[in-house]
Amino acid sequence: MKTPASFGSDLVPTSGRLRRRILFDRVIGWVLLLAFVAVLFPLFDLVGWVSSYALPTMSWSVLTENQVGESGGLYAMIVGTLVLISLGTAIAAGLGISAGFYTAEFAPPPVRRLARLAGNVLAGVPAIVLGYFGYYALVLYTHWGFTTLAGGIILGIFMLPYIFRTTDIALSNVPPSQREASLALGSNRIQYLRRVAFPIAFPTILTGIFFAMALGLGEAAPLVYTAGWSSTPVQNLMQPTAFLTGGIWAFYDFPRSYGTFLTLAFQAAFLLIVIVLVINIVVQVLSDRYRQRLAGIYE
Amino acid sequence: MIPLVVLGAVIAVLVIASGLKDFGWTFWGFQYRFVPGEPEASSWGIGVFLVGTFLTAGLSLVLATLLSLALAISSVVYLPPLPGRLLSMVTNLLAGIPSVIYGIWGFVVLAPYFGMALEPSLKDVLGWLPGFGGPDSAIGPWGTLLAVFILTIMIIPLTTALMRESLRSVPRELVEAGLALGATRWEVVRRVRMRVARNGLWSAVLLGFGRALGESVAVAMVIGGTSIALPPSLYASSTTVASFIFSQLDSALLYPDLFILLVEFSLVLLGIAVVVNLVAQRFTRVELATATTLGGGG
Repeated sequence: MKTPASFGSDLVPTSGRLRRRILFDRVIGWVLLLAFVAVLFPLFDLVGWVSSYALPTMSWSVLTENQVGESGGLYAMIVGTLVLISLGTAIAAGLGISAGFYTAEFAPPPVRRLARLAGNVLAGVPAIVLGYFGYYALVLYTHWGFTTLAGGIILGIFMLPYIFRTTDIALSNVPPSQREASLALGSNRIQYLRRVAFPIAFPTILTGIFFAMALGLGEAAPLVYTAGWSSTPVQNLMQPTAFLTGGIWAFYDFPRSYGTFLTLAFQAAFLLIVIVLVINIVVQVLSDRYRQRLAGIYE
Repeated sequence: MIPLVVLGAVIAVLVIASGLKDFGWTFWGFQYRFVPGEPEASSWGIGVFLVGTFLTAGLSLVLATLLSLALAISSVVYLPPLPGRLLSMVTNLLAGIPSVIYGIWGFVVLAPYFGMALEPSLKDVLGWLPGFGGPDSAIGPWGTLLAVFILTIMIIPLTTALMRESLRSVPRELVEAGLALGATRWEVVRRVRMRVARNGLWSAVLLGFGRALGESVAVAMVIGGTSIALPPSLYASSTTVASFIFSQLDSALLYPDLFILLVEFSLVLLGIAVVVNLVAQRFTRVELATATTLGGGG
C-alpha cells in the first residue's frame, strides 16, 4: 500500500522544468526547517546553562533565607516579586477587564476604535519609558521616594493592555446568536453580560491575565526606577523592595570567583524561568483548548 | 490614515521642541560629553544613541524577519499539523523567557563564544564588508553583535506568531486555486500567500522593530556598557537610548541635568515607538490588529 508521501513520487517527471520546480519545492521545505535551530538552540542552551549554574547549590534555604552580604538567599526578592505582581495584577485586571467590557459592549464605535488603538499603542510603549515615567510621576513628584506601591502601579500599567485586549476580544467574539437568544428571552444587557457573555469569555480573559502575569514577572525595566531596592523583605507598601529581576540585574556582572553573587543571580533566573514557563504552558494549553475563540492571540 | 499622520507629526514636533527647549540644537547632534557639575562643559547629543538604537534594532530585525518567515512558512505550509503546532508552542515559550535572563545568558555564557570563536572567524571571512573588519570591543567580548544576536532571539517569537497568523488567514480558495493550477507549494507561498498577506507581514516586521527599539535590560547587559561613541565595528560596544536610560539610575539620582536629559531621551524613545506602532496599525485592519497580541513591551 502506498503511503501519501510516496504516492506523489511517481508523478515527478525524470527531467525538465517541472521536475526542477517540484524538487525545489521539497528542498526549500527542508531548508526552511533549519530555522527551527534558531529557536530550539536558545531555548535549550539557555535553560541548560541557567540550570547548571543554579542547581548545584540550590536548596530550600536559598528560597527561605534573606541575602546578607555574600551569603543567604532570595527571600526578600521572592516576597517583593510576589507583592509587586499581586499589586500589578490587581490594578491591571481591575482596569483592563472593566475597560474591555466597556469597549466591547458599551462604547460607541468611534470610542471603541480609539480605545483599541490606544490599547495597541500602550502595548508598544517600551517598558523603560513606563519605568522612567513612574520615576518622574510616582517617585519624585509625589515625594514618596522609591516604593513598592509605585512599582506595583507601573507594573499594572505595563500589564494593562494585554488584559484589556484579551477581554475586549473575548467579549467581541461571543457568537451573536448567544446575544440574540439571551435578549429574545427578555434579559437586559447587564443580565446578558453576567449570565451569558462572561461565562463564555471567562477562560479567554483568564488566559490574558496569566499571560500578562508571566510578562510582568519577567520585567525589570518598569521596576528599577520605581520600586528601588532593599535588602530586607518588604514590610509595607511605602517601602522600597527587592525583586527577582532586579536581583539578576544587580548581580549579573560579578565574576564567578567573587562570592555567591553570580550564583544568586542564576538562582533567581532559574526560579523565574520555572515560574514563567509553568504559567506559559498553562497559557498555551488554555489557548489551544479555546483556540476557536482566541482567534490566534497567543500563538 | 490622515489622522495617524497628523498624530505622528504632532508627536514628532513636540519631541523635537522639548529637546530644543532644554538643550538647544546640540541635543540633536553627535557630541555627548557629560562632566558632572559643569553644565557648560557638558554636551548632550542624542545622535550616537539613536544610531546605536537603529543599528541594533535594524540588524536584528533583518535577521529575525528572515528566520521568522522561514518558521512561519514551515509551520503553516510544510509541516504536518502536530509537529507544526508543537514547534509553534516552543517558539511561544521562547517569548516567555524574561529579558533579564536573556541578558545574563548573553553576558556570561554567549560572550566568550563570541569573543573567542565567532567574531575572529567572522572577521576572517567577512572582514572586507564594512563593519565586519574593524577593531574588537575594548572592554571584553561584549558588544553590538552580541546585542543584535540577543535581540534577534527576543523578537523572533513575536514576528513569527504574527507572520504565521497572516499567512494562515489567506483565504483557502486562493491557495487551492493556485494548487489546482499546478503550482507547487512554494510557488503558492511565494505568489499567493505572501502577496495576499503582505500587509500582515509588514505589520509583523514593524511591531518587531518597535519591540527591538524599546528593549532595555537585555541590551544594557550585553552591549558593552559605558562607551558612548559611534561603534567602529560590529564587535565594538555601542549604546542605545533604551539601555542607556535603564543603566543610568545611579547617575540620575545624583545629577539633575542627567535626570532632565533622561526625560528627553524617554520622550524621544516614546515618540519613535508610538510612530512605529501607529504605522504598524495602519497595515492591519483594526479588528485584526486587536487580535495580534503577543509578547511584552520589552
